[in-house]
Amino acid sequence: MPTEREFQVAPIVPESVMHNTKALSNLQSLSASIFGVAAGILGLESYSGFLFYFIFTILTTILFYTFRVAPTSLKSGLGAFDTSRYFRTQYEFWAGGVFGGLAGYILTWTLFYGLVRA
Amino acid sequence: MAQLPPQTIQRDPQLFYWILFPITVVMVLTGILRHYATVLMASPPKKVDQPALKEQRSLMHGVAVRSNFHALTAPSFKARREFLTTAFDAAATPPANPMTDPGAMDGMMGMMKNNMAMMIPNTLIMSWINTFFSGFVILKLPFPITIKFKSMLQAGVATKEMDPRWMSSISWYFLCYFGLQFVFNFLLGSDNAASQMAQQMQGMAPQAPNMFGPGVDANKQFQAEAENLAVIKHYSVLDDVEQRLLEGIKTR
Repeated sequence: MPTEREFQVAPIVPESVMHNTKALSNLQSLSASIFGVAAGILGLESYSGFLFYFIFTILTTILFYTFRVAPTSLKSGLGAFDTSRYFRTQYEFWAGGVFGGLAGYILTWTLFYGLVRA
Repeated sequence: MAQLPPQTIQRDPQLFYWILFPITVVMVLTGILRHYATVLMASPPKKVDQPALKEQRSLMHGVAVRSNFHALTAPSFKARREFLTTAFDAAATPPANPMTDPGAMDGMMGMMKNNMAMMIPNTLIMSWINTFFSGFVILKLPFPITIKFKSMLQAGVATKEMDPRWMSSISWYFLCYFGLQFVFNFLLGSDNAASQMAQQMQGMAPQAPNMFGPGVDANKQFQAEAENLAVIKHYSVLDDVEQRLLEGIKTR
């Protein structure tokens, strides 16, 4: 963890951090609802539906990492799967979307399951 | 354990057009209306009279010096600290009564307006759904839930043996209430005022202390700020900068 002094030497711009977080959460909430449509049309129920959601959300995050974060962050000397160049905490990047999009996922999943299957 | 056959219920396809679709559309439109109502009702910032503004600005000056001291050299920081502490110690004004101060009433009205914009549509829609759509079974949840949810999900449907996965119109309202955030993100941009959830989160977060709010004793604030300035142990970001530079060059 960097000290207060190091933050003063190399300051972090809060607006940019906000922008990065917002871009990620927008992508995740939109993609979560689309996964809900897919799960509903496939007619997934209970565990398989939630498993579908978790697998595809994590896949989205990994794709986001490979295409948007990795090129510049690997070049600047950070290790693989290290997002500290653009995001404040690792947890926020890897797990934040799983819970942010869940409500939208359940909504569209229920809607399309009800329309197509039940 | 004996496996029960899954219940099937023959439902009229018209239920979709006359219940599901209207509720969803109304929820989305209410969110959009709430967004624009909040934007339109936002009162412009109040004009502050000159002495109060001077007070605020000098206090902000103190805060700025305190939080950015590392960018100043030692003598210039010392000179600023001298000046500000003497000025702060000299200043004194009596606090205003929040109820008689018009600015304070304005702030309270703003909060009231926001709360109203959340409360009124919710109550209206709830009673609208309860009046017109109670007692219809419209959807089946894709995941099983316990029997405890039955009274909540099947409000108005008094059928004992029915699987709690079947949900009535009011539970579709609740699903929309929690899950429509992505629609508003898509329609209105990500910092919209449409979602109730986001607003509730905001309400729960600890409010930043209102620095220049009514009823705050300016004199006390000045003294606290003077004290804060006095206890700072000064250092500069440029201390040892040449070593950091050399290390940076070496590692390249």
